[in-house]
Amino acid sequence: MRMMEAENIIEMLHITKEFPGIIANDDITLQLRRGEIHALLGENGAGKSTLMSVLFGLYQPEAGEIRKNGEVVRINNPNDATALGIGMVHQHFKLVDVFTVLENIVLGAETTKLGFLQKKEARKKVEALSERYGLKVDLDAKVEDITVGMQQRVEILKMLYRDNEILIFDEPTAVLTPQEIDELMATMKEFAKEGKSILFISHKLNEIMSVADRVTVLRKGKYIGTVDTKDTDKQSLSNMMVGRPVQLQVEKVPAKPGEAVLEVEHLSIPSKSHKRDAVHDVTFTARAGEIVCIAGIDGNGQSELVYGLAGLEKSSSGKVTLCGHDISHASIRQRGSDMSHIPEDRHKHGLVLDFTLEQNMVLQRFREPQFQHMGFIKQGAVREYAERLIGQYDVRSGQGPVTIARSMSGGNQQKAIIARELDRDKPLIVAVQPTRGLDVGAIEYIHKQLVAERDKGRAILLVSLELDEVMSLSDRILVMYEGEIVGELDPTTTTVQELGLYMAGAKRMGKEGEGA
Amino acid sequence: MTFLIQQTLIYAVPLMIVALAGVFAERSGIINLALEGIMIFGAFAGVLFVNLTQKAGTFAEAKAAGDWVALQGFMLLAMLVAAVLGALFSLLLSFASVNLKADQTIGGTALNLLAPALVLFFIRIIANQNTLQMAEGDSASWFMIKKSFFGYGRSEDMGFFGSTFIDKTYLATYICILLFVVLSILLYKTRFGLRLRSCGENPQAADSLGINVYKMRYAGTTISGALAGMGGFVYAMTTANCASTGDVAGFGFLALAVMIFGNWKPLNIAGSALLFGLFKCIAASYSSIDINGDGVFLLAQLGISPHFYRMLPYLITLIVLAFTSKKSRAPKAEGIPYDKGQR
Amino acid sequence: MKQEFGKLWRKDSTKSVLASLISIIIGMVVGGIIIVIVGLGNSNLGISGAMEGIRLVFGGLFSTGRNAAGALTFGFNSTNMGDMLFRATPLILTGLSVAVAFKTGLFNIGAPGQYLMGTAATLMLALGIPSQSVPTWLIWIIAFAGGMLAGALWGCIPGLVKAFLNINEVLACIMTNWIAANLVTWMFDGSNFRNLVENTKSGYIYKTSFNGVQTAKMGLDKIFPNSQVNGGIIIAIVIAILIYILMNKTTLGYELKACGANRHAARYAGIADKRNIVLSMAIAGALSGAAASLYYLSGNTEFFWSTYQTLPATGFNGIPVALLAASNPIAVIFTGCFMSMLDIVGLQLTNLTAYNEYITDVIIAVIVYLSAFSLVIKMLLNGRKKRKAPVAQEAKPAPAAPPPDESGAAEGKGGDGV
Repeated sequence: MRMMEAENIIEMLHITKEFPGIIANDDITLQLRRGEIHALLGENGAGKSTLMSVLFGLYQPEAGEIRKNGEVVRINNPNDATALGIGMVHQHFKLVDVFTVLENIVLGAETTKLGFLQKKEARKKVEALSERYGLKVDLDAKVEDITVGMQQRVEILKMLYRDNEILIFDEPTAVLTPQEIDELMATMKEFAKEGKSILFISHKLNEIMSVADRVTVLRKGKYIGTVDTKDTDKQSLSNMMVGRPVQLQVEKVPAKPGEAVLEVEHLSIPSKSHKRDAVHDVTFTARAGEIVCIAGIDGNGQSELVYGLAGLEKSSSGKVTLCGHDISHASIRQRGSDMSHIPEDRHKHGLVLDFTLEQNMVLQRFREPQFQHMGFIKQGAVREYAERLIGQYDVRSGQGPVTIARSMSGGNQQKAIIARELDRDKPLIVAVQPTRGLDVGAIEYIHKQLVAERDKGRAILLVSLELDEVMSLSDRILVMYEGEIVGELDPTTTTVQELGLYMAGAKRMGKEGEGA
Repeated sequence: MTFLIQQTLIYAVPLMIVALAGVFAERSGIINLALEGIMIFGAFAGVLFVNLTQKAGTFAEAKAAGDWVALQGFMLLAMLVAAVLGALFSLLLSFASVNLKADQTIGGTALNLLAPALVLFFIRIIANQNTLQMAEGDSASWFMIKKSFFGYGRSEDMGFFGSTFIDKTYLATYICILLFVVLSILLYKTRFGLRLRSCGENPQAADSLGINVYKMRYAGTTISGALAGMGGFVYAMTTANCASTGDVAGFGFLALAVMIFGNWKPLNIAGSALLFGLFKCIAASYSSIDINGDGVFLLAQLGISPHFYRMLPYLITLIVLAFTSKKSRAPKAEGIPYDKGQR
Repeated sequence: MKQEFGKLWRKDSTKSVLASLISIIIGMVVGGIIIVIVGLGNSNLGISGAMEGIRLVFGGLFSTGRNAAGALTFGFNSTNMGDMLFRATPLILTGLSVAVAFKTGLFNIGAPGQYLMGTAATLMLALGIPSQSVPTWLIWIIAFAGGMLAGALWGCIPGLVKAFLNINEVLACIMTNWIAANLVTWMFDGSNFRNLVENTKSGYIYKTSFNGVQTAKMGLDKIFPNSQVNGGIIIAIVIAILIYILMNKTTLGYELKACGANRHAARYAGIADKRNIVLSMAIAGALSGAAASLYYLSGNTEFFWSTYQTLPATGFNGIPVALLAASNPIAVIFTGCFMSMLDIVGLQLTNLTAYNEYITDVIIAVIVYLSAFSLVIKMLLNGRKKRKAPVAQEAKPAPAAPPPDESGAAEGKGGDGV
C-alpha cells in the first residue's frame, strides 16, 4: 500500500470551534494523506460537518491550525479553500435551482471577456470532464428539473472544474439508491487512484468499510481515534461512534394485522412545480397492528402523498377511506380526528417555534372542552397536561412547559412532537422520517415507541429514506418511484439490492399486485 | 394619438426604470419596499440641484442663447445628482437589512416614512412653503426637446414619427430606455449579473463558491437606489413640472406591482410598464385624450366621474396582481437576511 | 432584591422595553442634531434658536409659551396634556390595528385606507341620521359601529387577496389605501355633507356637532381645561385592554398568533389559516375605523374631504406606535401617547420658533428605522448579559444539544411576491 510513505496533504491540528452554548469541535485532529480515501465517522451532531466547514473556510475555529503539505495555511473563506485545491460536495446541495447546470458549474469561477460570460470555453471543459469520469449531466437543463443523482454529479463536476485535488464528500449517499451508491464509490476510488485525496463523511458503516482506507471517529464534538479499515470491523467502529455497544436491530415480534384502517384507492395529487402528477394513481391499505413503510428516494412523491392524506394538499382524483369514513374531501381538522401525523419537517409543520412547549403540546387540542371554556383557554389545564407529557416522554428543556420551543435541542423537539402525536391516541399514525437528524439513543427510543404503538393495534404508515430503518422497522414495504407505487416487498424476504432496483425505477411489479 | 403615446411614455418610462430598480434589489435578495421613498428623495435632490444651479446662474447664458445642448447637459447632471443621492439614501436600507439583518419590510417602510419627512422639513426651510420648484421658468422651457432645435418652423410638421418621438419629448425618457437595456444585459450576460442573481436565489450556494453575498446585496440595493432616485427625478420633471412635494402618490408601489406583473424579467417589465403607463396616463389626463384625432374627447364624454379615472391605476393593479400572483415566481431567497454562521 | 432585578432583566419583555427606549432616545438625539445643524445654518435661528429647539423637542409637552422677556417657560400645561390625550386616541387605535395584524404575521400598512373608510362611514351616519327623530347618543353608537364596520370591510380586502391568492399584503394595502382616498373624495364630492354654511370651509365636512353628535367628555375636561380631550381616550384604553385579553387569553387569540408565528404549522394542526388571516385583517381594519370614528365624533374636528392626493398620517403613525410597543396591546397605550406628544412638540416648535413641525416626522421616521432592528438591539442586550454574568445561568441537566439544525435557517417568510 502507498501509505508506507505516509505523506499528509492536509492536517487539521487541535481544532476547536464553539457555538453559543455548545462546543461543536473540541480539540480535534485529522490528517489526510495524499491519494487516500479517509472517512470521517460520527453520529448526527458529533461535529463532522462543523469540522469540514472549518476546512472549507465557512467557519473560523477558535483554536488550532490547518496545514497543507506541512505549511500552516489560513482559510478565511471558500475562496481560500478553492485556491488551496479544496472542494466540497455539501450534504444539502449548494445549487441555484433556476440556473442551468452549466451556469451552476461555472458560478464563482467564470471565464469572462470584459466582464461578459464566455460560456463556450466552459462548456468544452465541462464536457471533457464529464466524459472522462462518466459523470453524465445535461448542461442546459435547469437544476430544478433534474434528478437528485444528477444534481450530485453537478456538484462533483463543480469541484473538478476548479481542478481541486482535495475532495470532501459530506454524507453523499443519503440521497442515492444502492446502485447509485456503488457508482459513486467507484468514482471516488478512481479519483484516489489519480492521486486526489478524499474526505468522506458518513455514519454508514457498510460504505466506510467498503471504500475507505482509514477512518477518524468523532463523538459529541470530541476526537475518539483514527484506525485503518483493514484492522477493524463494523461492531467496533459502531462502539467507537456511540460510546457503548449498540443494538443494530430493532426488536419486535411478527405483526398481527387486523382490519384495514386506511384505504387509499387510485389517489392522484398534482405537482406544484411540474406538469405531471406528484402522486399518480396510488392504491394501498394500512391495517391495524402493522407498520407499512413507504420507501423511495427523496422527491418521488412521498411528501405529497402524506400531504394528501393529511389534507395539506388537495387530490385531483381517487378516494381515501379512514376508519370506514370517506375523507377524500375532508378538512385537515376532520382528518385529524382519526389520524396522528408526525411531520417530515419539525420546524415547518411540527412546531410553532416561537410558542412555548405547553402551547405546542395542545396545537390540535386547544379547542377541546378540556382546555377551553367559552373561548377562553384554561391555562391551568394546559400546564398540567404539558407537564404530564413532558414527564411521560422525557422531553428535556430549560424551563419545562414554558420553554420556548426554538431554544430546545432537535432531539427534544422531535420527542415533544412524538409525545403530542402519540398521546392523541388515534387509530392511524403517519410518521415521516421520524428519526431524521437524531442521535442513536433518540432513534432507538422512537423505534421502540412506534413498535409499541403497533402492538397496541394502531396502524402505522412510516415514510423513510433510510434503508436500514425501512428494513428493520417495517412489516410491509411499498416502494414509490416518480409518484407511483412500483413495488410491494416483504422485509423478511427481500434484499437491499432488490429494494434499490425498485427505488431506481429499474424494476416494477405488475399493477395487479398492488394493495393486496 | 401622438398625445396619448407621449403621455403614456412619460408615465411608463419612470415606472419601467423604477421597476428595474426593484429587480436589482430583489434579484440580490433584498425586498426594496423603499422605492417610493427613494423616488421622493431622488426627486427632491434633482429639483434642489436644478433650483440652486439656476440661482447661481450657471446656465443662464446658455438659456438666454437658446443653447439647448448645454441645457440637456444640465438635465443629465440633475439626473446624475438624483441617482447618486438615491443610491446614498438606499444605503440606509442595505445597512439595516444586510448588516443588521432587520426585517426588510419594516426597514423599507421606515425609509418610506423618512423620505417625505426629511424632504418636507428641508423644503420648508429652503423655500418656506410645501413645494420646491424651479427658481425660474418651467421644465418644458428648459428641458423639453422641441422641433425648433432641428430647424423646423412653428407651423412645419415633423411627420408622425417626429412629432411623436422627438418633438415635445424629454431626452431623459430615452436615456432611461437606454439604461434599461444596458442594465438588463448586465443582469443576464455578465459575471456580475450571474453572481447577483445567485445571491437572490441561493445565497448559501453563492457563499460556498466564494461570492461575497453581503457585497452583492449592497451592490444590488445601491444600483436599485440609484435607478429609483433617478426615476423619481425624471417623474417629477416630466409630470410635475420639476417640483418636489415629498410625494409621488404611490408611484413607487405601482413600480413594484409592475415588477411582480413582469415576473422579475426585464422584457415583461417593459411590457407591463407600458400597460400601467397607459392607465396612469388616462388617470392624469383623461379629459384631454383625443384618441383618433377627431376632436372628440371620448373619455371625458363618457360621463364617468373623474374620481373613477384617478382610482383606475390602483384598482387595475390590485386586479392584475390578483390574476397573476399564482404564476409569479419571486427570487427564492428575497426577504430572508443572510447569516454566514447559519447554513 | 438583586435577584428580583436579575429575573426582571432576563425577561424578554424587559428587553423589548429597553430596545424601544433606546430607539426613542436615539431618534430624539438625531432630531436634536438636525435641529442644531439647521439652527447653525440659518441666520434666523442661530445657536440660541437651536438650544430653544432642543429644549422644546424634549420638554415641549410642558411648554407654556414665552414670558415677557421672550424666554421659553415651562410648567404644567393642561391644554397640551389634554390635547396629547385627544390626539393619542386615534393613534392608540391605529397602533392596535397594526399590532394585531403583526401578531398574525401581517404588516397592515393599510391603516390609512381603513381609517379613511371609517371616517366616511362615521361622518355620513353621524350627519345623515336626523337628530330630530333619533336620540344623539344612539346616532353616536350607530356612527361608531358604522365606522368600525367600514374599516373592517376595507381591511378584509388585502386579507382576502393575501389568504387566497398569496399577494403580498403590503402591496395590496397600499393599493386599497389609494383606492380609498379616491373613493372617499368621490363620495363626498357633491354630497350635502360639505360645509357650505361657513363660506371659507367648503373644503371641509361639517363637524358632527352640527348634528348634535359628539363624544361625552366624561369629566376629563375638568381635569384638563382648555383642551380638546374627551371620553374617546377612555374608550381607546378599554379597547386596548379588550384586545390584550383577546390575544392572550382566548382560543381565537391562540389561533391568530399560531398563524402569525408559523402558518404552516397552524395549517398542519387543523387551524383555518386563511380564515384567520382574513379575520385578523378585519379586526385590524375595525380598529383603524374606530380610530377615525373617535377622532371625528369628538365634534370639534373637521375632515378635509378632497383627500385623493394624500393619505392620513394617523394611519401610518400606527406603525411606529405598534413597533415601539413590540405589538403588546397594553404598551400601545403608552407609545400612542408618546407619539401624540411628539405631535404637540411639533406644534410648539412651529408656534414658538422658526422651526417647522416636520422635524417631529423626521424623529418618528428615525424611530421606525431603528425599531426595524429592535431585534438586533435586543440581541446586543442579550450578548451583554452573557458576558457580564456567565455564572447566573442555572446549571441545567445539559441535554446533549446538537448544533442548531440546518433546517431552521429555511423558515423565513419568503415566497410571496415582493
